[in-house]
Amino acid sequence: MSKPYGVIAEFDTPADVMAAARAVNAAGFKSWDVHTPFPVHGMDEAMGIKNSPVGWFTFIGGVCGYTGGMLMIWFQNAVDYRIIVGGKPLFSPLFAFPVSYEMTILFASFATIFGMLFLNGLPRLHHPLLRNRRFAQVTHDKFYVVIETADSKYSETETRKLLETAGSKHIEQVEE
Amino acid sequence: MSSPAAIATPTVAHEGSGWDKLPYVLVVAGFIGLVVGAFSDLKQFGYSYLVSFMFFLSICLGSMFLVILHHLFDSNWSVPIRRFLEHIAFLLPVMGLLFIPIAWLAPQLYPWMTIDPHTDHSLHVKVALFNPPTFYIMAAVLFGSWTLLSYKLRSWSLKQDETGSVECTFALRKWAAGGVFIFAFSLTLAAIYWMKSLQHQFFSTMYGVYYFAGSVWTTLATAYIIAMVMQRRGYIPILHRRQFHDMGVLLFAFTVFYAYIHFSQYFLIWNAAMPEETFWYVLREQGTWWAVGMITVFGHFFGPFLLLLRIDAKLNLKLMIPMAIWVWLMHYLDMQYNIMPVFHTTGIHLALTDLASMAFIGGVLALVFLKYFHAHAPYPQKDPRFEEALGPSTASDHQGAEH
Repeated sequence: MSKPYGVIAEFDTPADVMAAARAVNAAGFKSWDVHTPFPVHGMDEAMGIKNSPVGWFTFIGGVCGYTGGMLMIWFQNAVDYRIIVGGKPLFSPLFAFPVSYEMTILFASFATIFGMLFLNGLPRLHHPLLRNRRFAQVTHDKFYVVIETADSKYSETETRKLLETAGSKHIEQVEE
Repeated sequence: MSSPAAIATPTVAHEGSGWDKLPYVLVVAGFIGLVVGAFSDLKQFGYSYLVSFMFFLSICLGSMFLVILHHLFDSNWSVPIRRFLEHIAFLLPVMGLLFIPIAWLAPQLYPWMTIDPHTDHSLHVKVALFNPPTFYIMAAVLFGSWTLLSYKLRSWSLKQDETGSVECTFALRKWAAGGVFIFAFSLTLAAIYWMKSLQHQFFSTMYGVYYFAGSVWTTLATAYIIAMVMQRRGYIPILHRRQFHDMGVLLFAFTVFYAYIHFSQYFLIWNAAMPEETFWYVLREQGTWWAVGMITVFGHFFGPFLLLLRIDAKLNLKLMIPMAIWVWLMHYLDMQYNIMPVFHTTGIHLALTDLASMAFIGGVLALVFLKYFHAHAPYPQKDPRFEEALGPSTASDHQGAEH
């Protein structure tokens, strides 16, 4: 009834899963992931993950917020409703700066959070791994490597063998 | 991982490189330049010397601040860089000796010293602070407290090298906890007495923080370069990516912090538009000082901000080495901007004594620093967080990271 989503391999310690991640990365897999109960330092490197592109969303959001803030204040005070306050010029980047700065932060944070959601393909209502009973242990004391069938390097026997060599004591297939 | 004891002081003999002679050349050339300059124009000599003095004071105080931070936060990443920062902080007594020309020329440098307070209202209301005896007593108190603090922070740390006793860690924490208050008050007073009081009519509650922000910024760039040299020459083999990354991150943070402080100072004065405050910036908009102000906006903040924004930039030496030199240049210009407009009112004017005083003070400090550095272990030997500092691969680090 259901096709396989991928293969899941369980590990007992951060060091084991780190070594497995290095092996899987070295084997050239692309569609795979590591799940741990807490962040494991150095895992990004072991998995060969590069710096996240989410920073670009932040940067562009920030630039939009800043220019938007400046343009908004310029339009309001110097064009649409010209009013002199305290003998100051109708527009100056000085008094417009604090508000534009807040807009920079606001837009940068929105861009970051929505960019992150977009890059992660979120929100989604269901994930095949959540049906796997064993996988619930990931929030407790077990560490998992998951390799998807979608990966071009995936082979039912070879991939299983790779994970066994990496030291996993429990490997099972996950249904879609 | 080997125990700290196993990684004992590496006996590195990299002497004889041409760079080691540089401080001597600087001291001699600087001294000659200063003597010649002092005879031709004593006032120019005094202001040039004051600019360089405040520049290097920044680095000494900034280093002391980083040492204090290390103990206050009980951090592990900064263990490898702590020792040379302690040495730089303990250059403060040397700065006390280098203060002598300023103490001598003070009546010529600070106009308030020779004004009768009864003829000047703005001086009269501040006369409790601004009178010659207080000026000299305060200088003695400031250098005294800095000497005591930097001495204690270094001597307990050196004792830790020998005994590794927990008593040293506790003593260092106590000195750091009390010291951070002494540091904040003394740095503020130093900035007020030696820079701000050049125009005694001026008001700014941000002034001390402003000097602090620029100081720590410059110190971080300096520490980055020193750490790089120490690592390359093999003195501190325990320096890793992490230390450079964290120094880079702090440099970035202080780029923003300095801009935040200086903008706030300018913004409040601009908005309130009160003559007793605005005159300070009006003077600094005359002639080329206006350009220096613009260079501060774009060169002190905007350029470094954009260049340091990316996480990998902080580890890229091709960027960070020119950046550190640029930071020195910007901080020097900032000191010029604060001090020199009183003397050169129409625009920036660099003199021989500017260069000579930088060379002389820099050379003297470098010589004393090298003497300190070679006399002691190049990095803390028995710090309780020594192993953690070496990298994130220890088990305790994993558990402690997110809780």
